[in-house]
Amino acid sequence: MEFPAVLGYATDIRVDALLTATNVQRSALGLTSLTLNTTLSQAAALKAQDMFTSNYWAHTSPAGKSPWFFFNQAGYKYTIAGENLAKNFSTSSGVVEAWMASPTHKDNIVKSGYRDVGFAVVNGILNGEETTLVVQMFGATNSPIASIPVETSAVAPKPVELPAFIEEKSLGDQTSKVTEVPIVTESETIQTVSAPKSAFFAVFEQPKLNISTITRYVTFIFLGLLIVILALDGLIVSKKRIARVAGHNVAHILFFSAILVAISVVSRGTLL
Amino acid sequence: MNLKHINFIVLAIILIAGVATFRGAKGDSMMQLFIGIATTISYILWGMMYHWFEGDLHTKVVIEYLLVGAIAVVLLLTVLWT
Repeated sequence: MEFPAVLGYATDIRVDALLTATNVQRSALGLTSLTLNTTLSQAAALKAQDMFTSNYWAHTSPAGKSPWFFFNQAGYKYTIAGENLAKNFSTSSGVVEAWMASPTHKDNIVKSGYRDVGFAVVNGILNGEETTLVVQMFGATNSPIASIPVETSAVAPKPVELPAFIEEKSLGDQTSKVTEVPIVTESETIQTVSAPKSAFFAVFEQPKLNISTITRYVTFIFLGLLIVILALDGLIVSKKRIARVAGHNVAHILFFSAILVAISVVSRGTLL
Repeated sequence: MNLKHINFIVLAIILIAGVATFRGAKGDSMMQLFIGIATTISYILWGMMYHWFEGDLHTKVVIEYLLVGAIAVVLLLTVLWT
């Protein structure tokens, strides 16, 4: 019997929602929709797994593995490729909105040369804290685009059929089971890669108390109280004509109001 | 337009620019923290200048602005890192 977490971060990120949101953005610009590609999703899952295993938050691993390594490892023969990363967002739409707000990530989403897209949404421990990773990989196997990123000039190994190891499972199970994924390179040598058999298609967590929401409410209440106290103080001092050496209450109120507005736009998620 | 008005226009510019750049850095917590600290320092400096022009710059006033700035940074840190 599983009990719902009491305190945690509410998360609802799903691959189907990410795909829809991505294609809505492309359609709005008159671009063709991207097709969800299983091999690219496998590459994204391998990348996510490597990030958790090697404990890094970067496009290139500490061991020097670039995103294109995982394209090759999954057997996706690209002519053009790209990768977007996100962590700790609460919703699928929040992830895509943040990518669209970032010029470099937006470039990937609206690049006309891409035909396929793959996603991995994984929960795990990164740098000692619970993290929800979203890996989005773009590609085309026969792109008409002439300009190919420098990184994509690497020769892809011969593509091989990989067993489908991605399946939706309930959260909290992702580190317990592993499956062996054989990867065949051009020299026909076989490597095995351990991939967690986990919730690569969705992360859904609904704790009773959401830490982000509680922190935000407490901060808003604290700032609101400060503003009210400063306003009352200014009013009393002005009404009773009290002479004192002090800062300017109106300036403090304006400053705290600006902080309040700034905090209201903070989202927990981070992009790379 | 007197000096007081000019001072408050400068404050408005500092705060609007701070909030706008903070919004622009959505998704980059480190950058948002940097912008928050920069805006806070600008506010403290503005406070010093304002009270210097008013002729009532006192140690107590400096401490008050520093404490107001510290509260803002602590709140930003709390929200950005939870």
